[in-house]
Amino acid sequence: MLATIGSATLSGIDGVPVTVEVHVANGLPGFTVVGLPDASCREARDRVRAALLTSGYSWPDRRTTVNLAPTSVRKVGASLDLAIAIGVLVASEQLPADVVADRAFLAEVGLDGSLRHVPGALSLAAACSQPEIIVAPASYSEASLVAGPKFRCAADLRTLVDALLAEAPWPRPPDEPITASNVGDADLADVRGHRLVRFGLEVAAAGGHHILMVGPPGSGKTMLAERLPGLLPDLDDHTAFDTTRVHSAAGESIVGGLVRRPPLRAPHHGMSAVAMVGGGSHRLRPGEISMAHGGVLFLDEMGEFGAVVLDSLRQPLEEGVIRLARAETRVELPARFLLVGAMNPCPCGEGVVPAACRCSDRALERYRRRLSGPLLDRFDLRIDVHRPDSRQLLGGSAAESSAVVANRVRNARCRAIERGVRCNAELSSSALERTSPLETDASALIERSLESGRLSARGMRRVWRVARTIADLQGHDGALTAEHVASALHLRTDPAFLVRSLVN
Amino acid sequence: MVKARLPDEAWVVALSRVPGVGPARLRALLASDEPASLWRSVCNGTLPNELPSGVSSNGAGLRLPQALRDQWRSASRTIDPEAYWKAHVEAGIGVMLRWSPSFPEELAEDDDAPAILFWLGDIDRLAGTRVAIVGTRRASRYGIDVANEFARELSLAGVSVVSGLALGIDGAAHAGALAVEGAPPIAVVGSGLDRVYPRAHRSLWRAVAERGVVLSEYPLGSSAVAWQFPARNRIIAALSDVVVVVESQSTGGALGTAVEAARRGRTVLAVPGPITAPSSAGTNQLLFDGCGPVRDVDDVLLALGREPERRRVAAEQRPTPIGTAKDVLDALPWQAIPVERVLSATGLELGLVMLVLEQLENDGWVSQRSGWIERIGRGGAR
Repeated sequence: MLATIGSATLSGIDGVPVTVEVHVANGLPGFTVVGLPDASCREARDRVRAALLTSGYSWPDRRTTVNLAPTSVRKVGASLDLAIAIGVLVASEQLPADVVADRAFLAEVGLDGSLRHVPGALSLAAACSQPEIIVAPASYSEASLVAGPKFRCAADLRTLVDALLAEAPWPRPPDEPITASNVGDADLADVRGHRLVRFGLEVAAAGGHHILMVGPPGSGKTMLAERLPGLLPDLDDHTAFDTTRVHSAAGESIVGGLVRRPPLRAPHHGMSAVAMVGGGSHRLRPGEISMAHGGVLFLDEMGEFGAVVLDSLRQPLEEGVIRLARAETRVELPARFLLVGAMNPCPCGEGVVPAACRCSDRALERYRRRLSGPLLDRFDLRIDVHRPDSRQLLGGSAAESSAVVANRVRNARCRAIERGVRCNAELSSSALERTSPLETDASALIERSLESGRLSARGMRRVWRVARTIADLQGHDGALTAEHVASALHLRTDPAFLVRSLVN
Repeated sequence: MVKARLPDEAWVVALSRVPGVGPARLRALLASDEPASLWRSVCNGTLPNELPSGVSSNGAGLRLPQALRDQWRSASRTIDPEAYWKAHVEAGIGVMLRWSPSFPEELAEDDDAPAILFWLGDIDRLAGTRVAIVGTRRASRYGIDVANEFARELSLAGVSVVSGLALGIDGAAHAGALAVEGAPPIAVVGSGLDRVYPRAHRSLWRAVAERGVVLSEYPLGSSAVAWQFPARNRIIAALSDVVVVVESQSTGGALGTAVEAARRGRTVLAVPGPITAPSSAGTNQLLFDGCGPVRDVDDVLLALGREPERRRVAAEQRPTPIGTAKDVLDALPWQAIPVERVLSATGLELGLVMLVLEQLENDGWVSQRSGWIERIGRGGAR
């Protein structure tokens, strides 16, 4: 007899609906899975067999064929386990076919018959077209973020079958675990001194400008970077859904609804290029840039990252997505993030202060080559971070809190949205010229900087956008003034390690 | 034999190219035999085991172990003295031996004299009073201003400025000497005259050769090797009547020059700097150790035994800052500070401060360098 069960598998972060067809017929006893299963999917056979037996069902001693349609899509992971198990029960006539119609099954089964969570439950549930979807209790809160279908959960096969046969009521979904809300985001009020960097972070958050912090060890670069997500507004619905799907597909537990707060990802510099952009041999897992979608990607000790890893950032920085292609599959993952780089000014770390550096010319030259020019150019804001002096650390009034700054950032972002972009960093050249004319002395200042070689033609647009953001933060309407441009220019100083020793 | 017609210089040039023949060994070898026959001995491996006593400056002999002689012998096969000599002649490079009449007297008498000197430019310009201006490669704005100003004024006073064409202070000194129509600048470098190092100073190097003279102890093709720079410093020290150390870290080549100069009885002067500045740690130590301080170029001229010229104190020509510009300038200390500190000192907005600083920079009151602001004193280089 033939059974047809609805389920789904994961490709990148997208769910792909899969129909599990199970056929049991006379013949030599055997069990085959066809339709491009990967290793963990082929292992489903052993898991399902044990699960059925321990749950008190019989295993058909006949020829059993499982087909996973569409056959062209590679099936990965264990999300099809439950559908196969139910399919076998139906095909071997231990369960009537009508109770599984219009239902989809998404769970891994254990040898004891228990139902387990699968990564990407959110995307999988979104892919299913059936009006009722059965998931593991651990996946319930995540899957039910999908509006539309009705979600059911059961702790194990036996309970599930009883509920399907209407012999027992459906088990109650597990209680939402209590999460302490609003923990995490560190507050800017803890930061003493650092007036310039605080302003830089505010501009970065308001305009979506990538920021590079150059400073000696112990100057507070990491502490400052960790406070950037707290300045960003909540993610909009679309971004939140994408970010949640990425996190879910990567196997992170999703609690308390969609990911609303911008994530902060701070990978270690020893990482590989695949860990950065995503990929892998079996299924294409999202990398750090996708995990940071909508939030902040913080690269501490940027000079220590591999050159390949850093250069792999260039295309996603430009387009906001990463396209991964392998021989069999091709996926597109969202990767729109705010890049925050932190690095020492030179190998000895003291180069921010003029004439304090003790590095040899050759060591400096090597260090300079770590960051490619095109990548360095992507940073609209490049700020030197200095060690605060003791007076600032001990005394001084408490600084502004993140909430106050975040409020200004939100207002500035609203102005950008009125221009039709998410943030000013995305303004096209023509939109920039149209929406942000320069006052006479502002354009004179830009001209002077171009002539003196402090600014390149490409850098000019970036400075202009930053000036727009600074004006937005002040609630300034009308043409940009020279002060806005002067601020923007200073926030894009050439890092000290790039400036050759002056001759005269 | 055709080769025999080559001048003595040609054989010494070839000898100086053999790896392992440094200034001391070359001096000792030349004291023992004629250049041409020395070269033959090196090629044939027939040098004696030990040169007789009296060849070295301290009167001792020179041991030549078998391994060294073998090494020299195999290295000598890669050198064609005739072609090599021709290359020097065609490149316009002058060569002089220690006993040549044009060899500077101070150097020839030196304990550690170079046996051979190569020069580019006009060797006659070596004559006259010479003052070395040396210092660190990682100079502060202050050091660069001082080096530049001293070099200009000394040149105008007819004193040749000697330096090493390195980055930082050296470069500023040469640039200052070239900026005026004064005494010819003199550079002593640590590589072959065809190997410009640092490459950033290519044009400066050429300008010094055109207006003055560039000296080197090393033949064509010798690249810049670390030990050659301290060796170069002894020539700078020996050539100069007075050595002025403008800025130096607590360890550095400039301190080496000062030691070499003191050993030769030359006057060493140091420019004082803030006690907190790492770039002045070495010069302040020199002052503590008893070197004379330099307050202005008159102090250098006094050390040369000249009467300082009565100079008028130049009237302040920079426009007096008013309003916000005055507030910002008053808030600036005399050391370089990052813009961030200007913000906290004045409490003004970033944009306004940057505009005011640009104005002050245009008027010559401050200088900006990768986000650091430094006040410029009266008459500082712009």
